[in-house]
Amino acid sequence: MKIFLDGKEIDVQEKKTLLAICRENGIAIPTLCYHASMSAEARCRVCLVQMDGKFVTACSTYPKEGAKITTNTPEIFKARKLNMELMIPRPSCKKDDDFEVCEIYKSVGLGYSRFEPITNYVPDLGSAVVRDNNKCINCGKCVRVCSEIQGIYAIDFASRGHNEHVTPYSEKPLSSVACIRCGQCILNCPVGAISECSHLEGVEAALSNKKKHVVVQAAPSIRAALGEIFGMPAGTLVTGKMCAALRRCGFDAVFDVNLGADITIMEESAELLHRIKNGGTFPLITTCCPGWILMMEHFYPKLLPNMSTCKSPHEMLGMLAKTYYAEKAKLNPKDIVVVSIMPCTAKKFESVRPEMHSAVDYVLTTRELGRLIKRKNIDFASLPDEGFDAPLGVSTGAGAIFGATGGVMEAALRTAYELATGSPVSKLEFDQIRGMSGVKEGSIVINGKELKFACAHGGQNIHSLLRKKDQYHFIEMMACPGGCIGGGGQPIYKDPDTLRKRTEAIYRADASLPLRKSHENPVVKEIYAKYLGHPLSHKAELLLHTSYTLRERF
Amino acid sequence: MQILEGTNLKALARARKMGAEGVINLLEKKGLVGRGGAAFPTAKKWRMAMQTNADARFIICNADEGEPGTFKDKFILQNNAKTMLEGMLICAYTIGAKECFIYLRGEYEYLKDDLQKQIDEVIASAQSDVSIQIVLGAGAYICGEETAIIQSIMGFRGQAMFKPPYPTIEGLWGKPTVVNNVETFTCAAQAILFDNWNPNMRLFCLSGNVTNPGIFEFPLGTELSTLIKLAKPKYKLKAMSFGCFGGIMPINSKMKITTESICKEDCQHGAFSVVLIDEKQNVLDICCSIARFYTYESCGKCTPCREGTIRMLNLLKKVKSREATNEDLKLIAELANHIQRTSLCGLGQSSGNHVLTALKHFPQDFEAYVK
Repeated sequence: MKIFLDGKEIDVQEKKTLLAICRENGIAIPTLCYHASMSAEARCRVCLVQMDGKFVTACSTYPKEGAKITTNTPEIFKARKLNMELMIPRPSCKKDDDFEVCEIYKSVGLGYSRFEPITNYVPDLGSAVVRDNNKCINCGKCVRVCSEIQGIYAIDFASRGHNEHVTPYSEKPLSSVACIRCGQCILNCPVGAISECSHLEGVEAALSNKKKHVVVQAAPSIRAALGEIFGMPAGTLVTGKMCAALRRCGFDAVFDVNLGADITIMEESAELLHRIKNGGTFPLITTCCPGWILMMEHFYPKLLPNMSTCKSPHEMLGMLAKTYYAEKAKLNPKDIVVVSIMPCTAKKFESVRPEMHSAVDYVLTTRELGRLIKRKNIDFASLPDEGFDAPLGVSTGAGAIFGATGGVMEAALRTAYELATGSPVSKLEFDQIRGMSGVKEGSIVINGKELKFACAHGGQNIHSLLRKKDQYHFIEMMACPGGCIGGGGQPIYKDPDTLRKRTEAIYRADASLPLRKSHENPVVKEIYAKYLGHPLSHKAELLLHTSYTLRERF
Repeated sequence: MQILEGTNLKALARARKMGAEGVINLLEKKGLVGRGGAAFPTAKKWRMAMQTNADARFIICNADEGEPGTFKDKFILQNNAKTMLEGMLICAYTIGAKECFIYLRGEYEYLKDDLQKQIDEVIASAQSDVSIQIVLGAGAYICGEETAIIQSIMGFRGQAMFKPPYPTIEGLWGKPTVVNNVETFTCAAQAILFDNWNPNMRLFCLSGNVTNPGIFEFPLGTELSTLIKLAKPKYKLKAMSFGCFGGIMPINSKMKITTESICKEDCQHGAFSVVLIDEKQNVLDICCSIARFYTYESCGKCTPCREGTIRMLNLLKKVKSREATNEDLKLIAELANHIQRTSLCGLGQSSGNHVLTALKHFPQDFEAYVK
């Protein structure tokens, strides 16, 4: 099929939108409500182009044979700009904002709008996700990611005309509806109307309090994404600089959640082997992801006996910091403040669950850590590489891969196989459960018995895996697409390849470590030998395991 | 009146004898076009739905008559519903649909029980295996738009969707769906049965400050003065508005009412609902109330319509309160043009007509208020 794109004749082979055709031909059309992996709605009408003299939205229009497309006349620019003026009467973008809308202002210019703002909403200050409808431009991407990608349907549009707004069911606050706090809506908001509930102020107060011993622990996926905030390419591993920056922020001890992950693996593989030996409930389902836990509590209460009782790695390490480390360093646990750096907004909710007994005091997202580093005037790029602090800073490659989908499963299998058979797995890399496909599965033979396992990431994939769950023994669930590297607390990204690059960085970190199995970690061995006894011991159950609260759907 | 002639299931019998292809060819020959306002050839619509491969097809009768000044569908539902139902059964027979819906305007709830009784009677005496279900609207003007009706029947928010895919290809639950107006289905039955059926007959809904408002049937090409005489205006007339969306044009009583003569004045006739405006009234006031209507009825989906209609209303109010400048008048025109050209559905695309035509034909009514 031939079409004319800005006067140039172009051959289009397959059925494609004007937006795809333009982008393939080097024409950058601005978009706000468009997302490659979600359905097109053509709401924002910023991607206007002209087809045969008529305005059409590039994201939703398929050209006909011989269509004449214009993309860059002053008339088109004026129409796009007027839509921006109408949508955002008070434009504001700071230099380091990475919202999509800021990219558009680079061509439109911030300028002014001839229109008064008309909305007046009370912001919804939730315990994990905060929404300010006054900034909202009704692009609906949060609504679509919540329904089409995550399958949660926590928010939708209400009212009509200029009163149309995004809201949870029955205008309730987000914190009292079935929202799993995954924060995917934050990543997809082009204007920053949704954000995380800030814990920065609390952390800064703790840091300036001389009586407090402030301990920080960074999740496996932070080191693969933090660099992006400081202009480094996606997939840059910044473990050393991150440790250095945290120390310069004033934290008294810099610990590694990867160690917590190693301990989680000890407990979880012991649980798996215990269930295999004693005929427990299958499949066993991982519980590292607080978004998934909320999803189970709201939508799948029948899975309660399937859930592992392990706390998530940072809660385990937080608990050990206030017990084991406090004893070892002769500190009063009441003086220890534990701050977790997490790729996740649901962890903020998790940290205040009563079941967790305030082991972790504050949770900062990767973005908040970026803000803290900037507030402290630290030049991140020029920092030297430093390491984690003893005693809770030694980890293995198994802990590192927790950040990617399939990682928890892979780490658990490495340890479970060896503990059950007494011999090491033939290949450490479980390629069946690596990569970005939505539901992955595989099997391994342990002592003559076939163990079938599967992992899913992203809510809709979780829903579809659960439809066939009974054939598996062990399932890993991650609420966010890509696992933690794509978490709702991570830096906002535009390039769809970002998740793959971050994942590669995670696996690079694994491959580069001398120890790659959790049970070989000397610190893990020491903690069990001197403090906990053995996995699933009474003390381990007390400190490292938890229970769940069933919640209503509405 | 032609529209009130009953067909007593004879049209359906004739259609069954002719076969599906015969029905469509006959409608094509008779020149039946959609009476909802867009005048799309009915035969073409039915043929598209019939020829699309699918395991199910649906029919929707659009009885969501929301256009201000329009009340002809109510008139038909009250006086000749059985012929309309027969038209639906003919359509169902032609395209092979088993389920039909009547999307009844929320404000017409009082017609529901009687309509249901007539549905039962017609289905029984036609010995048809087709079901006709009434779905009650909730009062949104946008749900008169065919894609919004489909969303609403499926239980979603009544919002217009972009086309293609057209409803005749992918409509209700992704299946080919014919959406026709009450009057169109009624005419379809009559066109099939009566050999002397006149395709040019139209229903005119006359309203405004007149002593004899109502529905009158005339062929296209009738002189405007004929209608005016019947409506009996109280004062000398100055303008007329085609519903809300069609625009406002000056009265020329010698004018023959045709699509061309109306388009010449930048107006759209739609379903021929004529609101007569006399010299006691100010066109600016009328624009204000039409703008208020659009602000209230915009579904909120597209930026220009959602944000533009309220700004246009605010600017018109500013003119009314004598605070506006000529710059504001220019901005009103710019906004009206912008909303029309960049919105998705018919609502947005017509929401500036009234202001644009009023500014063109009655600039003095605005300028009197401008600083």
